[in-house]
Amino acid sequence: MTENDTFAIIGVFASSRAMVETARQLRGLGLRTIEAYTPYPVEQLAETLRLRRGGPLAWTMAAGALVGASCGYFIQYWDEWLNYPLNVGGRPHNSWPAFTVGAFEITLLFAVAAGFFGLWFACGLPRLYDPRLDSEAFDRASADRFVLRVEARTRQVARESIRQVFEAHGAERIEEAAA
Amino acid sequence: MTLATDDPGALPIVRPGVTLTSLSETVSGRLLSRRPPLWWWIGFGFASMLLLVLIVAVVNLFVAGIGIWGVNIPVAWGLAIAEYVWWIALASGGTIISALFYLTRSPWRAATNRIAETMLLSAAACAGLMPILHLGRPGLFYWLFPYSTVMGVWPQVRSPLWWDFTCLLCYILMSIMYYYVGLAPDLATVRDVAKGRARRMFYGVLALGWRGSARHWRKHQTVYGIMSAIMAPMVVSVHSVVGLDFAAGLTPGWHSTQFPPYFFFGAVISGTALVAMLTILVRWGYGLEGVITDYHINALGKLVLLGSVMLAYAYLFEAWGPIYGANVADRTEFASRIFGFTAPAYWGKVALNIVVPQALWFPAVRRSKPALFVISGGIIVGMWLERYIIVVSSLHRNYMPSYWGDYYPTVWDWAILAGSIGLFLTLFFALLRIVPIVAMSEVREIIAKDGAP
Repeated sequence: MTENDTFAIIGVFASSRAMVETARQLRGLGLRTIEAYTPYPVEQLAETLRLRRGGPLAWTMAAGALVGASCGYFIQYWDEWLNYPLNVGGRPHNSWPAFTVGAFEITLLFAVAAGFFGLWFACGLPRLYDPRLDSEAFDRASADRFVLRVEARTRQVARESIRQVFEAHGAERIEEAAA
Repeated sequence: MTLATDDPGALPIVRPGVTLTSLSETVSGRLLSRRPPLWWWIGFGFASMLLLVLIVAVVNLFVAGIGIWGVNIPVAWGLAIAEYVWWIALASGGTIISALFYLTRSPWRAATNRIAETMLLSAAACAGLMPILHLGRPGLFYWLFPYSTVMGVWPQVRSPLWWDFTCLLCYILMSIMYYYVGLAPDLATVRDVAKGRARRMFYGVLALGWRGSARHWRKHQTVYGIMSAIMAPMVVSVHSVVGLDFAAGLTPGWHSTQFPPYFFFGAVISGTALVAMLTILVRWGYGLEGVITDYHINALGKLVLLGSVMLAYAYLFEAWGPIYGANVADRTEFASRIFGFTAPAYWGKVALNIVVPQALWFPAVRRSKPALFVISGGIIVGMWLERYIIVVSSLHRNYMPSYWGDYYPTVWDWAILAGSIGLFLTLFFALLRIVPIVAMSEVREIIAKDGAP
C-alpha cells in the first residue's frame, strides 16, 4: 500500500442531522471529495458542501430563452415578410405586436427545454450503472437513509480516523471500497 | 375539542405517524402491488368503455365529416370548441397548483402536485384532440406548423388561432418536461423499493439512474425552481390566448377586453375543482390519508372558493359591458344569453359556479370531503355550460338578424364529450398505476421540517 492509494469509505445514517455533522467534521479533516446521497435535498448539507444554487444551469436556461426568442420571432418575420408577404387589411408585414405572442411561447419552451436537457447533461444522466455506487449501502438512499461517501488518500488521513468520525455520529453501517 | 384542533391550518400537514420509511413503502407499494385494487378496475373499465365511444365517434367523424354534428352556419362552432376550452382550462389548473404554489412555497402543494400534473397531462391530451376533430380536414392540421412547403404557403401568424396552436403545443411539451423533472427522483425510489427484476429495470430506466446525490439535488432545485417560475406565467398566457381566440373576433359577446383574465379565472376554478375531486378520490382509493390530510382538502376548498369569487367578478363585467355600452348587438346578444335560447345554461352556470361554491365560506362545508366533492363536480359541469354559452350564444345572435340561428347538438356531439371524458379517465387511471402519485421527495422535506430525522 503506497501513500498515493485512494480509498473510499461509505457511511449510512438514519438521520440527516448526523450526516450533516459528519460531513462538516470530515471537511474539517481537510477532505474535499465528499458526496452525499439523500432521499430529499438537505439544505444544511448543501451549505456544508458549499453547493451553490444557480450557476451554469441557470445561465443555460437564460441562453435557451434568448435563442428561443430570436428563433420564435424570426420564423414569424421570415414567414410574413421574407417568404410569403401577405397583406391583411394594410397591416405592416412586420407586425411585431402580433408576433410577440408566438415569440413569447417559443422563448419559454426553449428555456424549459434547455433546463431539462441541461439538467441531465450536468448530472451525467442517464447513467444506469455507477460502479462507485455498487453497494447495498445505497439501496435506501432514495427512501429513508442518508449516505455519505468520502474519498481520501492514504497519506492524507488514516482510514481509522474517518471511521471514528462516522462511528461518533452513529453511522448504522460503514463500508470500505476502492475509489 | 378546542378551537385549535378544529382548524386544519393549525394541524400538521402530514400525519404524525408518517415517516420517511412508511411514506416510500406506502406510495411505491401502490404501484408495485401485483393486483390493482377493485376500484381501479371498475374505474379503468368504465373509462375504457367511454374511450371506445370516442373511437367510434371519431372514426364516424373522419369517414362522414363534421356534418354528423349539429354545427352549421351561423353556429359553426359547437361542442368541440367549447370542450377544447373546457379541457385546456382543466389542464391549466394542474400547472397553477404545481407551479404557482411551488413559488409561494405552500406546504400543501407537495402531496397534491403530482395528482394535479397527472390530471394536466391527461386533460391536455383531450384538449389537443378537440380542435383537430373540429378541423373538417383533420389530416391537414400540420399546415399550422410554420414550415416551408412546396406550395410556399405559410400560416397566418397574426391570427390568435395560430397563437393558440403555438401556445398549446409549447404548453404540452413544457408540461411533460416539468413533470418529468419532478418525477425522476420518485421513480428512483420506486426502483429501489421494487423487488422484481422486471420492475426494477422498468423504473430504473425511467429514473435515468437518479441516485439522489447532493450535487444533483442542487442542480435539480435550480432547474425546478426556474421551471416553476416559467410555468406560472406560461399557464396564464395559455388560457389568456384561448380568450384571445374569441376576443379578436368581431362578434357580439366575444369582442371584449376582459376575455383573457376571464378565461384565466375560469381555469383557476375549474382546474382546482377537478384537482380537489381527484385528490379526494385518490386519497380514498390509495389509502393516502396520512399524506393527504384535512389540511390539503381545506386548502383546495379555499382555492376553489377564491376561483369562484374571481369568476363572479368576471361574470359581473360580462353583464356590465353590454348594459353600459351602447352597442345594440351586444345588448341583444346578452339578453338572449340570459333570457333566451341559452338561459337555462346561463342560470345553471351562475348557480353552479358562483352561488353554490359560496357555501365553502363555511369551514364545516369546506372540510367535508363529500361536500367539496359535490360542489367541485358542480363547478366542472358549470364551467362546461359557461364554455358552451360563450361559443354558441354569440354566434346564434350575431349582428344581422338575418344571420340568427339555433344550435342543437346531435348524438355524435355528445359522443365526443363522453368519449373525451373516457380518454381523460383512461390516461389518468393508467398513470395512477405507473407513476408515484405523491411527490415523495417533497413530502419528505415536510416530514423533515416537522422534526423527524
